[in-house]
Amino acid sequence: MNEDKGQLIADIEDVLETVINRRVELRTEMNIVNDLGLDSIAVMNFCMALEDKFDISIPLHDMASVVTVDDLAKTIETLRSNA
Amino acid sequence: MSIFGKFAALTDRYDRLREVGADPFAVKFDDIVSSVEGVVNGKRTLLFGTNNYLGLTFDEAAKERSIDAIRRHGTGTTGSRIANGSYKGHQELERELADFYGHKHCMVFSTGYQANLGMISTLVGKDDHLFLDADSHASIYDGSRLGHAPVVRFRHNNPDDLAKRLKRLSDQPGDKLIVVEGIYSMLGDTAPLKEFVDVKREFGAYLMVDEAHSMGVLGRHGRGLAEREGVEDDVDFVVGTFSKSLASVGGFCVSSLDGFEILRLASRPYMFTASLPPAIISSTLSALRTLRAEPQRRDKLAANSQRFYAGLRNAGFHVGPECSPIVAVIIDQPEIAVAFWKRLLEEGMYLNLALPPATPNSSAFLRSSVSAAHSDEHIDFAIALMTRIGREFGLLPAENNVCPFPAVAVSAERLGATAAIARALPPAVGAGAGMA
Repeated sequence: MNEDKGQLIADIEDVLETVINRRVELRTEMNIVNDLGLDSIAVMNFCMALEDKFDISIPLHDMASVVTVDDLAKTIETLRSNA
Repeated sequence: MSIFGKFAALTDRYDRLREVGADPFAVKFDDIVSSVEGVVNGKRTLLFGTNNYLGLTFDEAAKERSIDAIRRHGTGTTGSRIANGSYKGHQELERELADFYGHKHCMVFSTGYQANLGMISTLVGKDDHLFLDADSHASIYDGSRLGHAPVVRFRHNNPDDLAKRLKRLSDQPGDKLIVVEGIYSMLGDTAPLKEFVDVKREFGAYLMVDEAHSMGVLGRHGRGLAEREGVEDDVDFVVGTFSKSLASVGGFCVSSLDGFEILRLASRPYMFTASLPPAIISSTLSALRTLRAEPQRRDKLAANSQRFYAGLRNAGFHVGPECSPIVAVIIDQPEIAVAFWKRLLEEGMYLNLALPPATPNSSAFLRSSVSAAHSDEHIDFAIALMTRIGREFGLLPAENNVCPFPAVAVSAERLGATAAIARALPPAVGAGAGMA
């Protein structure tokens, strides 16, 4: 994992902590719903918090195709580079 | 593994709920005898969970018109408006709703759920954007899923948060539709509509307000929150339902935007479902006329809401942020809420139990809706009963700390005085401004 990606994952960890009120060490292959135990509302709240952290817009249907932490990181990277 | 295996987690939660001996999702009424009374397990039960705001389900004129409509026009339309045509009643109801709101156009849908589905899924397409309040009703979310527009959520009742999200997409082409609700169905709080209108204007977006719980409740004429806030000209689409103040079933959307009528050939939840039967159309028309002709029902509803809200707050319950006919008691532990709900039913009071994830912040709500048909005695009985059971569960301070009934002014020292959460209004504002 390169340095940028490592920082991105750390940033995502920060955001997740604000949503679920506990710290989880993320690994790229983790499944966001199953491994993190997020229900549908928590996923949507996570999405809203990520939007604010990275100042991007993540429409809910983009979030639907995100399964793993790696998917999420790639989605954020893409949206940031388009911004 | 059967086809139902995917529901294992849900089944497990439901089973645990029923172990308490309560099933809030399968209440069986032996009978319903008035707008506010039913029979459960042979016991006369006061109804506080009906959304029957104006108490019109047993209105004599509405019943007579409904029966007459069946005799004259039959029991059903047996098809959709685009296939089987529109009856005179459908057209008349659409005209009267448009007239009531002062709008040019009205479409009637077969349920309120379908009104949101039909409008939201159709108004915005894949090249547009849809902005939803995070605490939107399921029908609004489902409408967004049926359509193709990218969906952006903003924080509940937060116009600044909406503006921030609109700004991020301000260079994107396409139309932008904002959807908010007049009164939110779980906590009874209202949207800061004037501020949302400012945001809508700033970004050139369209605004839809779902007045399902505020029609017949708010505004001098009962048109809802937009009327009360004086911003009706800035609301592009009003969506509403017949299954609350109008005491039947169905939904509608009114608008004055040119080109609206094409939606009758584009909105699938309008096109591909059977239209409302004559009996429903007739009782709804009758209820709409009563709503317009009898503002005293709104006054009584406002007084009842204030009596109930203040009574529960003064008793020490943690209630919603503002007074409306939806009065929610917030209970942090869902399992206590379930047991509380069960005790209330055993003692002759029915209300709605709202559990996470249908509620914000993983708390549970004992959610009541007040009706104009409730008497002061009904409301005082409900407050006294909830207070007694609240003490049984240790949710309220000791008995000598609870004010006597009828409720008297609460002192600042009383534990419950600070129970209402942040946006609580002073009692005078909560009653007057909230209901006028």
